[in-house]
This record gives sequence, C-alpha cells and structure tokens, in this order.
Amino acid sequence: MNEVTLLLLIKILLVLLVVYWIAIGISMFYRRIRMRRLAIIEETFADLVSRYLYNDPENPISISQINDRLKKIGIRPGNRNNIQYLISLMIRTQRTIIGSNFIKLQKLYGMIPPYGVSIAKIGSWNWYRQARGIREIYEMNQSHYLDEVLKYRNDKNIYVRREAQIAMVVFLGWESLRFLPYLKWNMTLWQQIKIVEKLYDLYPQPDLKWLQKAYETDRSFAKRLLMRIIRKFELHSEIDYIMKHLTDEDYEVRETAIYCIKTFAVSRADMSFIKAEFDKIPEPTQQLQLMNYIFENSDIDVPFYLEQLYGPNEDIRLSVAEILWNNGHKQKVQEFYLQQYPNTSMHVG
Amino acid sequence: MKKVLVIQEDLIILKILERLVNLNNYSCKAIRSLNELSIEDQQNNFDFIISDILFEGIAPLQFVAQVQEILLHKNLLIVTNMGQDKIKQEIFALSGIAGFYAVPIDLDEIDATLKAYNE
Repeated sequence: MNEVTLLLLIKILLVLLVVYWIAIGISMFYRRIRMRRLAIIEETFADLVSRYLYNDPENPISISQINDRLKKIGIRPGNRNNIQYLISLMIRTQRTIIGSNFIKLQKLYGMIPPYGVSIAKIGSWNWYRQARGIREIYEMNQSHYLDEVLKYRNDKNIYVRREAQIAMVVFLGWESLRFLPYLKWNMTLWQQIKIVEKLYDLYPQPDLKWLQKAYETDRSFAKRLLMRIIRKFELHSEIDYIMKHLTDEDYEVRETAIYCIKTFAVSRADMSFIKAEFDKIPEPTQQLQLMNYIFENSDIDVPFYLEQLYGPNEDIRLSVAEILWNNGHKQKVQEFYLQQYPNTSMHVG
Repeated sequence: MKKVLVIQEDLIILKILERLVNLNNYSCKAIRSLNELSIEDQQNNFDFIISDILFEGIAPLQFVAQVQEILLHKNLLIVTNMGQDKIKQEIFALSGIAGFYAVPIDLDEIDATLKAYNE
C-alpha cells in the first residue's frame, strides 16, 4: 500500500465520520422535536379529557372544539404516528377509569378522529398491524366491530388469532365459550392463562350455561382451558369435569386435571372415585402427584396405600412407604420390606 | 377557599383530578412531583392531598412518610396504579390515610368524598 492510497483511505474514513456525525445530529434534532410534539399531544389530550369528563357549565367544551384542537396539534389522517400515539393515550386513559366516567369516555372515543383507524388496520397484509388493530378495538371496547374481529379467531397467524380470541372474551364474556369447540388451532398455555384472567377480570360472575355447553368439546386445549376456568372461579359444582379427565388419554389434559384438582377439597365419595381411578393413570410421575393430593386431602386409607405399596413402580412404593411410616404404620412398611427377603433371618442386636 | 394538593406523575390522571377538585369549589395545586412544590406551598395546610405513591428514586412507603412529614394536611388520599393487597395493607398500617384508590378508579367516589367534606 503506497502513500497515495493510504491518504485516500484516510479521506474516505473522515468523510464517513463526518456523515455519521451529521446523521447523529439530525436524529437528535428530530427526536427533540418529536418528543416536544408528543408532550403537546399528551398535554392537550389530558386537558380535553378532563374538561369533557367534568364539563364546566359556565364554559362548556363541545365535540367540535375538541376535534378542532386535536387537528391543530397534528391529529390528521395523514399523520399516522400522531394518531397512533393518541390511540395509546386513549387506551391508557380508559384502563385507568371505571364507573360513569368510563361510559362517558367510550362516548367521546366514538366521536374523535382516530375512530376507524383500528378497524382499517385489520385489513392490512401485515400480521403485526392486524393484531394491533384487533387489540386496539377491544381495548377501546368498540363492540360494534365484533363481527369483523370474530372472522380472525382461526387465523393462521398465532398473534392475530390470539388477539381475536381475547377480543371475543372481552366482548362476549362467558358466551365466547360457545366458539371453543370450533377453534381449529392449538391454544398455548400462555393464551389459556390470558383468557382465564381476562374472563375473571371482566366477568367475575360465572355463567355455567355456556361453560357446560363447551364440555362437549374433544379438543385437548379446550379441555385444559375449561378446567383452568373451573379452577380460577373455584366452581365446586363443576369438579366432576376435572375428575373425569384425571385419566384422560392425553398427557397434558391429565397434567392440567391433576393441577386443577389440587385447588379443591373433595367429598369422601369423590375421593373414593379418585382413588379408584388412580391405577388407570398410565404415567407414574402423574400418579405420584395425585398421590400427594390424596394424602394431603384425606385420612390414611391403609388398604389403598398397601395396594400401592405392593404395586409395580419403585418410586410410588417409596412414596407410599414414607407416608405409611410417618403416619403410624411402620409395621406395615417393615413387613413389606421383610417379605422381600423371606430366607434371611433377622439379626436383632 | 379550601385547598387541595394533587401529586400525580401521570399527566392525564393529574389533569382529571385537578378538574374534579376545581369543580367542587376547592383551590387546587396540581404537580407531577414533590420537586415542583414552592416554599409557600409547604406553609399551606391542605384540606386534602391526593397523591400517587410510585415515584422515581423513592419507595412508596417512604414517599408517604415524607409527604406526611413535610406537608401540613388534614386528609391524605392515595390514588395509585399499585393496587396490590400487600401495598394496600402496608399503606393503611400507616396512620393518617383517609382513603386508598387503586387504578382503575371510580372518580365518583373521590367526588363524593370531596363533596361530603365541603358540606
């Protein structure tokens, strides 16, 4: 490499450095302007909402005044970023308030500019925009778009159908369970938990009619979701559904059934049923989990435990031996171990 | 005129509460943090302080203790996003808390409290 080439390289690097600095400067300048704009939008929106919720009879604010002020601060159809920011403020505000002011807010949201932007997003080819549009619709409680949103409950994209399913719960509550048997895609554990929590937050009063209708489903995820609902709402009258699935052929359904039954204390008759079903569970790990539940929620049933003590699985035998040993039946455990060595004489010191 | 101090970091809640207080014929000072307090404010005896408890750099209980220590007041209402039972119990364990409202809030309850005090 000669001197000329080296100088040329240094010059190129210097130019690149200067371009880089200019870019940083422009970006900082833009960011400052943008932050100032967002602060103005937030301040104006806060002022408008407060005046709308608590309208001064001497100086009332009208919807046209609200729309004019929003337009002045840059809430226009062409400026999507500003509109998006306004929507996020609207959602934030709506989450903060309940009671009569919540209804007032919904009324206001139906009359100010961003109205219609979220539904337009649903038609986008981009899954992220679709999911975001659905989310905005249910967050802002625009229930008149329910039919549009329902179409996406079986969408091939997991995020789109996830938001659509949550929207169903938000708008329809317990009635949304009627769609459960017809959902085509698997529902992740995370999604099940979100649905249960949403239902619990928005519709704390159970409507068993829709729950019981959904029992007809044969889909694994649907059975798991229903059991989680029974657990969350502590529906003692519906425990039979959980008990029925303790011996389901699907591993995950059994796992959820065992997890959910742990929330409930069952009657003697139900406990007898669970004990009778115990041997039908094909997985020893799950049997052990259920064994712990039986031990913690019923009296020591010696014949049941002895049957398990002489059963085929080493881990279960060990667990049962521990239960019997610690609960006044040491002799039974000693007998069990001694019968394994029939030809050995005891050496007692 | 009776005086109210509103301390909320969230600008929207701050403005709504300020408006609610003003319409109930109170004189209202609305600020986003304790740093915005003037010396005159600290000499006032507020009829109500309506405050959040979640602020940068200070634990919720410490914040409440600080407010109680530096500001003269008759009633302290907490309006906050931190509505967990544990926080609520800890706040009520402190003396001098007149009310605790966790988000989402029904502003009608605060409205009724202010009206009842004004009568």
